[in-house]
Amino acid sequence: MGFCSALASFALSPLTSHLSPLAAQSAPPGKIAKSVERIFGEGVKVDTLKVDTVSVLRVSRGGALLGFARMRNVKGKDQPITYLVAIDPNDALKDVDVLVYREPYGGEVAYEPWRKQFRGKTAGAPLVVGKDIRNISGATISSHSVTLGVRQTLAELTAWHAAGRIR
Amino acid sequence: MRAPQFLAVLALALPMARLHAQDSESTSIGGYGEVHYTNATGPNTPGEVNVKRFVLYLAHSFSERLAFRSELELEDTKIAGGEPGGEVALEQAYLDYQIIPEFTLRAGLVIVPIGIVNEVHEPPTFNGVDRPNFDRDVIPTTWREIGLGAVGTLAGASGLSYRAYLVNGLKASGFEPVSGIRGGRQEGKEASFANPSLTGRLEWARPGLRVGGSFWYGGSANQDPALGTGTFDNAVALLSADARYDTGPFMFRGVLANISIAEAEAINAAYGAQVGSRINGGYLEGAYNLLSALAPKSVQRLNAFLRYENYDTQAKVPVGVVRDESLARRITTFGLSYKPVYNAVFKGDYQLQRTKSGLGEGEVLSLGVGYQF
Repeated sequence: MGFCSALASFALSPLTSHLSPLAAQSAPPGKIAKSVERIFGEGVKVDTLKVDTVSVLRVSRGGALLGFARMRNVKGKDQPITYLVAIDPNDALKDVDVLVYREPYGGEVAYEPWRKQFRGKTAGAPLVVGKDIRNISGATISSHSVTLGVRQTLAELTAWHAAGRIR
Repeated sequence: MRAPQFLAVLALALPMARLHAQDSESTSIGGYGEVHYTNATGPNTPGEVNVKRFVLYLAHSFSERLAFRSELELEDTKIAGGEPGGEVALEQAYLDYQIIPEFTLRAGLVIVPIGIVNEVHEPPTFNGVDRPNFDRDVIPTTWREIGLGAVGTLAGASGLSYRAYLVNGLKASGFEPVSGIRGGRQEGKEASFANPSLTGRLEWARPGLRVGGSFWYGGSANQDPALGTGTFDNAVALLSADARYDTGPFMFRGVLANISIAEAEAINAAYGAQVGSRINGGYLEGAYNLLSALAPKSVQRLNAFLRYENYDTQAKVPVGVVRDESLARRITTFGLSYKPVYNAVFKGDYQLQRTKSGLGEGEVLSLGVGYQF
């Protein structure tokens, strides 16, 4: 998309795309759906489960469970980073998506070369920057925040799955 | 893209932002600081302790796209009437307006995007108690000026990002031989806009690696009749390249810079200075996390580092200046950085300050703590 047309689409796009009252804490629903589709494939069925007040997405196709996903925020330098963690039925991490990155620096955490380091990790993995996850020089806060958030989310999903709270 | 078209689109975009200005306001406070102990070797050089910097970071987002960001700094603990030293200064204060991720409009007091430490100067991010000497005498950190420009990422997920600003210029009246252009900064204080200057940076990042190139170009005459009244008179041209590479246990970084000062002879004649017409040099640093060998399970870090700096603030001199070889500096620093968490650090280092002439040499022991949040 050219610079000019991108600018134009910002100016002319329907207000709803950046007008949600939860804008600072959430991602547009379309973005979440797109992320789930990218990770689990097209034509999947997505149900929303509740664990206490937390929403967990259950993803299936033709009655077969494909996995679970959860959206969350961590704090960057001064704004929240909204990300999604998806696991497969064996509690291995399928992928991480950074849905909304709001700050002017450190956006490299959203890029594939960094995110792909998380694939296949389980709750037993260290998930520590400088150990099994590489730092992005100059984006240290974002790298650490997202890594910590993924570690917590993966541990939670794994525990809830084991306890039968998501199934 | 034609300019009028661009302006029309921008004009459409601006009122749109006002509509959602009150959706999700939030204020965020952060900060960083460092306390130093330094002791130069030799007779009659007692150690000194100092709260070198105490900085408050204050940001406010008016909406998802519009944010104010600032840093307010207290240097050397306090300022008091009748006493020298101490400084309260704004380091940054600007508005960011994100049109698209590729283009965020930025205006205000901005950090000049040159080298590594000028932009990323929080104490846990660099080894050594003090910033590299190069980042004082060649790249004059913390260098900030007032202006406007743009920052953004390029071409989707290519890893390329940029910043480009038009800011107020340097003033040649402040240039001197030991730390070059440092005294020419205006730092946003009732700054003269006689020499609007351009500065920018392009960088490329992927996990573990960040490579950047930066420039500054602008006049420094400040309409002093002795120098010239043109916008680009006594132009200062700075080019710099830098790289950071982080494997986990090993970390490397290096910076190179070259500064050319046009008609330095006229500057020296006007102000009785001994300014070089060229300033250049750089540094290279390697570090290893000792805990990755001693305690592989630990998430703490104990970095042993070695840095070598080589720079000369009179690499070339104009007619009328005799080159002072004690300004050709070769500085070796080695030490430890202990980081219980990634954003707090205890530091210690030893510095060997050598010069080409052998004059003005010294050795310094430093200890310090630093944090950011």
